[in-house]
This record gives sequence, C-alpha cells and structure tokens, in this order.
Amino acid sequence: MLNWKLHLVVLVLVVIAEKIGNFTINLGIGKVVLLPMMYALIMGTLTCLKSVKISGEKEMKVASSLLGVTLMLLMAKYGTIIGPTLPKILAASPALILQELGNLGTVLIGIPLAVYIGLKREAIGAAHSVAREPNVAFIGERFGLDSAEGRGVMGVYICGTVIGTIFFGLMASIFATYLPLHPYALAMAAGVGSASMMTAAVGSLSALYPNMADQLAAFGAASNMLSGLDGLYMSIWLALPLSEWLYTKTYKLKYGELPPSVVEKAKEKEE
Amino acid sequence: MNMKDTIIALSIVGFMSLISNVVGTKHAFVDAIPGMIVLVAIAIAGIGLGKVLPGKIPAVAYVVTLGCILTFPGVPTAEFINEAVKKVGFLQLCTPILAYAGIAIGKDLDIFVTEGWRIVVVACVVFAGTYLGSAVIAQAILKAIGQI
Repeated sequence: MLNWKLHLVVLVLVVIAEKIGNFTINLGIGKVVLLPMMYALIMGTLTCLKSVKISGEKEMKVASSLLGVTLMLLMAKYGTIIGPTLPKILAASPALILQELGNLGTVLIGIPLAVYIGLKREAIGAAHSVAREPNVAFIGERFGLDSAEGRGVMGVYICGTVIGTIFFGLMASIFATYLPLHPYALAMAAGVGSASMMTAAVGSLSALYPNMADQLAAFGAASNMLSGLDGLYMSIWLALPLSEWLYTKTYKLKYGELPPSVVEKAKEKEE
Repeated sequence: MNMKDTIIALSIVGFMSLISNVVGTKHAFVDAIPGMIVLVAIAIAGIGLGKVLPGKIPAVAYVVTLGCILTFPGVPTAEFINEAVKKVGFLQLCTPILAYAGIAIGKDLDIFVTEGWRIVVVACVVFAGTYLGSAVIAQAILKAIGQI
C-alpha cells in the first residue's frame, strides 16, 4: 500500500500528462480526442518495460490492488454529477429508463463475436456493456482490472475514449438516414454514459433535424446521465449474468468443451 | 482489502487527484480540498455499505447511488456538495487512476499487443450493438406512450 516509489512515479506521470493537456485531431469525418488519462496509461505501462525497469513486480502488484479502490473515487464524483439532474430526467420520459435494456444488444452480438475471433475471458469484460467508467469500476471490483476480464473492459474503454465520438457521430447520421427510427429514439439511445459520444451523436442528429435540436439535446443528456445509474444496475443484474451464460454456450460451440473457468468452478463445488 | 487500507488508499489517490486537478484545471489546490474530502467520504461510506449490507451488490453501485442521493435537489446536503465537488474535474480524477492502471497492466503488455486488434473489433461491434439496441427499444416505447 505504502509503496512510495509507485506513488512518486504516478505523481510524476500525472503532472506530465496534465501538463500536455487535451489534443483534438480533426479528421474531417469527425474528431479524435486524446486526453491526459491516455498519456498517463501509456506512460504507466512503459515504466514496466524490462529495458526501463522503473516499475517492478512489487509496484505492479500494489498498483493493481489499489485500482479497485481508486475507481470508487471517480464513481463518487459520477454520482454527484447525476444527482442534481435526476428530477428532470425522471420527468422527461419513461422511455429513458427502459431503453437501457437495449444495452443487452451489446451482449447478444458482442459475446459470440468476441469468442468467435478468439478472445477468452476478455470477452466478458469487453462485451458485457459499452464499457464506460461505471462498467470499468464494476468489472474491476468483481474480477480485478489486471485479470483477463479487466483487460477486456479496459481495452474497450480506451477504444471508446479515443474513437467513440467519431463512431457515435457517424452511426447517428447513418441510422437516421437509413433506418426507420425517430430522431428522439436515436437521441435517447446515444446516452450510453459518455458525454462526448452522446454530444457527437446528438450533434449529427441536430444537423439533420435542426427544428428538433433542443428536444434532442435534452433527451440525449438525460439518458446519458441515467445510464450511469440504471445502466450500472442493469450490468450487475442482467448483462453480466447473461454474458457469463452466453460465453459458456459460445465457447462450447467453438472449442467443443466447456471453458476452463466453468470446469474449475464445477470442481470446486464437488470438493 | 480491509477498511483501514481502503481509507489509506483513498487518501493517497485523493491527493494525487488534487495534484492532477491543480495542473489540469483552473481551480486552486486549496479550493478543491473540500470537494475531494466529500468524494473520499462518499467512497468510504459506499464501500462500507457494500461490506455490511446483504445482497452481494457491488460497492460501486452503493457509491454511485449515494452520490446521487446526497446531491438530489432538496436534500439538505445537495447544495454544499454540489458546490464543493464542482471544483474537482471528472477527467482529472481519471488521470491518476489510469496511471495506476497502466502500471498494473504493465506485466500483460505483450498480451495487450497481441490481442489489441480483437478488442478493437469487439469495441466497434459493442458500440453499434448498444446504440441500435437502445434505439429500437426507445422507438417502441416512445410509440407506445404516444410521444412520437
């Protein structure tokens, strides 16, 4: 816990990362955003390289035991962001609460695909949700972020942070143009728990339907806030159990045997 | 991790976040301290509840829910907490966490490199699946209640 070398390294990385600040790269079709947290992550892994050897075995161990707790601080902040907006959200539309169930679509498509292309337990972390901060915290608490599940959720989290805005901006225009979905529904659905992704999607929709811009922004923002609360409970009670189940099924289909994690659990029960 | 270690860990990370906050935002170090103390307290309370209460609900749910309740408009603590935590940036809180995460996953760097492309593919499908799934349900409900 009190590994001062580790904390000193982190302190230096944090200061460097925040000093560099945000970078936005405009690609024409959308923006790629680089944030200090990503530099901190990359620099952190680099300190572990055998040729650099700043962070050793001990530091890595302490860092991973600290992670679960550190995420709680972020979640506390998350809660205080949602709280003040709750009355407005609840008044907006009951559809906001239920559309969170759509996140299960992630599991139904994501898990089979992840297993098919060869991911093991990473699949659970990567495809049980859209992998925003609360999901990362949840997986971190349940499995540890240095586990296979943790690698999965961190990977998708990082992808989302880097290309999420472009992706959601593009999807919103494509869906609005080619699918028979109402812009309100598309605005609500964009609130997956990331302000930047939601803003990008609502931005595209507002460009297509300028006279609805205010309502679209309101639905998007409300749904985005709510995702952090009811989306989290949905991950805990529905999405993760469903992911586990689907993982076992698809694993058996692909490899012709039960996943090692399930076999181990069954053995434990027998003993 | 026991409660004492949890509190020590939160205090250390809280301090790191204050540094991150002072470098990354326009808020002064001292101004952000009350907000940080509130956040640490909410986190400790949430983790404590997760340990004490039955039902195997993870602490993260208690922490988020507690944060919501304490800032819900009209609750006596809401105004003070809102003002205090406003001075602690969300993105600045992420920076130290991901620095620790980077060091923690350092030992698996080679796995990350070899599996990276698979995760990126899954990520794209996950985003599309979530968005489409939610949009279809939202469409159905909005129609059912006559909002569209």
